[in-house]
Amino acid sequence: MSNVEKIEVDALVVGSGIAGLQSALDLADQGYSVAIVEKNPSIGGKMISLSKVFPTLDCASCITTPRMASVSHHPRITTLTYSTVDAIKRENGVFTAAVTRKPRYIDEKECISCKRCEDVCPVYLPDEYEQGMGAKKTISIPFTNAIPQYPVMHPEHCIRCGACARACPKDCIEFLQEPAPVEIKAKAVILATGYETTPMTAKKQYGLGELPNVISPMAAERLLAPHGPYGRVLRPSDGMVPGSIAYVQCAGSRDKSIGVPYCSRVCCMYAIKQAILLSGSLPIADITIYYMDIRAFGKGYEQFYNNARAMGINFVKAKVARISEDEKHNPILRIERQEGTSAPEEVKHELVVLSQGLVPACDVSGYGLGSENNDFGFVKLSDETVSSAVTAGAGVFAAGTVKGPRDIPDSVVDAGSAAMEAVSYIRKL
Amino acid sequence: MDEKITEQAAKENYRQEPKVGVYVCHCGGNISDVIDVKKVAEALSKYPGVVVAREYAFMCSSNGQDLITEDIKKLGVNRTVVAACSPSLHELTFRGVLQRAGVNPYLHEHVNIREQASWVHKLDKAGATAKAIKLAQAGVEKVLRKDALNAIRVAAEQRVAVIGGGAAGMRAALSAAGKGLEAVIIEKGPRLGGKLLELGKLYPSGEDGAEVVKKLENLVLAEKKISVHVGAEIDFVSGFVGNFKINFKKPDGRSEQVKAGAIVMATGYEHYKPHKGEFGYGEDANVLTLPEFVSLMKKLPGGRLEYGGREIKSLALIHCVGSRQVEGVHKPQADGKVNDYCSRVCCTAAVHTANQIKEKFPGVRLYDVYRDIRTYGMKHEEYYEKASKDGVLFFRHTETDQPAVTSDRTGHTIKVKDVLTWGEELEFKADLIVLVTGMMPSDISLIKSQLKLPSSADRFLQEVHLKLRPVELANAGLFIAGAAQYPMDSTEAMASAGTAAAKAGILLAEPDIPLEPFVAVVDEAKCTGCGLCPAECSYDGALMMAEKNGKKVAVVNPALCKGCGACAAVCPTRAINVAGWTLDQFDAMVEAIAKE
Repeated sequence: MSNVEKIEVDALVVGSGIAGLQSALDLADQGYSVAIVEKNPSIGGKMISLSKVFPTLDCASCITTPRMASVSHHPRITTLTYSTVDAIKRENGVFTAAVTRKPRYIDEKECISCKRCEDVCPVYLPDEYEQGMGAKKTISIPFTNAIPQYPVMHPEHCIRCGACARACPKDCIEFLQEPAPVEIKAKAVILATGYETTPMTAKKQYGLGELPNVISPMAAERLLAPHGPYGRVLRPSDGMVPGSIAYVQCAGSRDKSIGVPYCSRVCCMYAIKQAILLSGSLPIADITIYYMDIRAFGKGYEQFYNNARAMGINFVKAKVARISEDEKHNPILRIERQEGTSAPEEVKHELVVLSQGLVPACDVSGYGLGSENNDFGFVKLSDETVSSAVTAGAGVFAAGTVKGPRDIPDSVVDAGSAAMEAVSYIRKL
Repeated sequence: MDEKITEQAAKENYRQEPKVGVYVCHCGGNISDVIDVKKVAEALSKYPGVVVAREYAFMCSSNGQDLITEDIKKLGVNRTVVAACSPSLHELTFRGVLQRAGVNPYLHEHVNIREQASWVHKLDKAGATAKAIKLAQAGVEKVLRKDALNAIRVAAEQRVAVIGGGAAGMRAALSAAGKGLEAVIIEKGPRLGGKLLELGKLYPSGEDGAEVVKKLENLVLAEKKISVHVGAEIDFVSGFVGNFKINFKKPDGRSEQVKAGAIVMATGYEHYKPHKGEFGYGEDANVLTLPEFVSLMKKLPGGRLEYGGREIKSLALIHCVGSRQVEGVHKPQADGKVNDYCSRVCCTAAVHTANQIKEKFPGVRLYDVYRDIRTYGMKHEEYYEKASKDGVLFFRHTETDQPAVTSDRTGHTIKVKDVLTWGEELEFKADLIVLVTGMMPSDISLIKSQLKLPSSADRFLQEVHLKLRPVELANAGLFIAGAAQYPMDSTEAMASAGTAAAKAGILLAEPDIPLEPFVAVVDEAKCTGCGLCPAECSYDGALMMAEKNGKKVAVVNPALCKGCGACAAVCPTRAINVAGWTLDQFDAMVEAIAKE
């Protein structure tokens, strides 16, 4: 096809979470050209939706947005958002990626991000950025800090009223926009497709999705975020300020029964962080963390944990067998303490956060690049004793949680070394 | 490039009448929850010299930056004040905005109303708002008096010096060489490999430490761009970014100097050494540290575990020796502080060793005394599970109820208040005690003092920011690789070292490096040549007296000056000033703050 948009770069980075952004910057700052492909409408990955980050309690936006801005302003970085990588093949040392730009149903070249379409749209949808707790319009800019600032229309919900098209001062609403193919040629590929939280379908006894006041950690992040859905911490069932909050650790980690036997590395710390933030916004709330082992192993983490204990957060070594609720939707945890008494008991809380683990977001072995997965679907390194980024596929490198759970500091550090391996590889071609 | 065009534009822009744009950031609630940001913006909009004042949720975001760019384009703003977080976080971000928009980047003033107002005056919202207004007004006064400075450019050696030839050092050198830079490894030990050489089977690969060293060493030796000095004793490190000099003594006693544009500190760690009597260590031959036991185990044939001429039938591992220490419970280290950090790698190392003992010496009964088992890595949990399945008995204690070891002729008795069995005090006997010791940073006090390197409270090297600049030291041109920063295993050190090399690669991407122009500048007309200032200068060669136009004056070497201002403080005639931080600017700021 002649109308295929073609891009030629030194390196293709798949995914624009903190690891993808950082690898792209570390490549581009050394003079290499980079294309980033991101499936979501904005770059920034999971990190941009977090509230604050451990152990320094910086606001996540303060750390992520400047990186997002640097990427979007960088003369050597091309960013394709709301685009999928459909296939990548490698021939004579050159990767060719078939990418599809999904239609936003607007003309991106003309759009001035004035939000008038969003203002007039009459159809509200649950806002997935707010974990379903807030509402957004059927045509809307994904979130305040999104890059790029283009609205996305969801045609399956659009009632074709035409209000947006009439309001648009640039006449750029395109109801009939089609997916557009893009071909990217690159010398190296960095996989940075990240993680998803462990699905809880295999752990029905914890009630996520069934019990309204049992929520995911991502929802808790949004409740705690300065620009969250309610601007404060309210529980979903009745909008009450919760007076007693529990964290269930290892909900979807260290659990063979759901196929996730490994430790997800970040959950102890994010639970402690959320507990500290909750004590700040709800000073009289009781906060309890039910755990197996507290794994505060990074720089400054043990001290962070000690601070949380000094603040009066309860740490209870116990296993949670199941969660039910009373008539007021207060979650009831059936626990077995692993210290003190061991008789099972039931404890009532007003809000429960399941500290879900991390699983791979994407099966990158599906690209057929020769990179292999480990038993749990994360990318395997060819020899992790000598390099932290080289996979079994020639010219294919991995950065961040695509290789397994790791926290933000570890992902940022990891990304630089992936960029460096790509540089070494490209220079040898 | 178009850098020249921007410079030209910036010059023209500077000649125009000052038009200040003031931008007040909410910092997503960090500021706006306490400070009335609208009120601040409104007050500033009326301040002399200000053409526009705005407030926005995240000034550092792309949208926020675009607001400034628009004002530069449409309103002719040519100086900016951003009242937001600490300048250490985002001053550079906003300088970048100005630069891209054709304004000299040093015509920006970053006012910190987060750490200096909203965070410290949480309970006094009105007071915090008033303070933020004053600080921003002082910022306006300062920016009105700023000069359009230009970065100082210094030629850089296209070479990276890596101090330390362990796994991290080798990786850093390899990655730097992969980018085309020369790399020099300076190792104090007799050969490459560092601590890995001593270690036995590594998790998770199962390879011996020495085998991993061999692999990395072969890669290093095959790389023409890397040169290696072993047995090198560093005696003097000096210089500045782009131009470091490392002097060291070779094993034959001769001195050598390496010049480098950047230095990677891959100086690693030392095993924690228990003090005499800590769980019987140093007094009782059957109390060993984990590294000591690992080297012992390497030498022994399998079957019966024998030590000191006796069969060892039972062995107890005690975790967190030298880690996670508690003030008042543990004896402090030489500097008076306890090691309150977690050493990260020891839990996995301990259970991994337990499994190897079970395999090699199946008859040995194993006890494991711990606080939390932190087997966080991908396959690490399997070691823990295997150890539990194979009959290792685990005892868990709290931080305040430390286990105790007593020895007599019949062996060692370990007493532990085990929370897993209702907090009962349990006693058991073991023939051999293995202390799972943590990590402490290597002694690099000489280099630290010569280069003035910062340490964290845990004594490891202190990065600039754990997430924004995780392998950079505050000293330009210096990077950290591996366990010099914090305990980590060798696979994690690979990532850290690769990234340190990436940052060195970015720094040396061009033949010359831009330096901050905040250095002392002498007004020769005012200088009386009194000679007071060079006496105050702490940086060799940065400030000297010299003859100029027949007059004795102070002369600054901008590449060596750190802009500390000690000279400005003693000058009786205000002839010496730090560019960007002049006394006139401070006077005006104080004036603005003190004004009723």
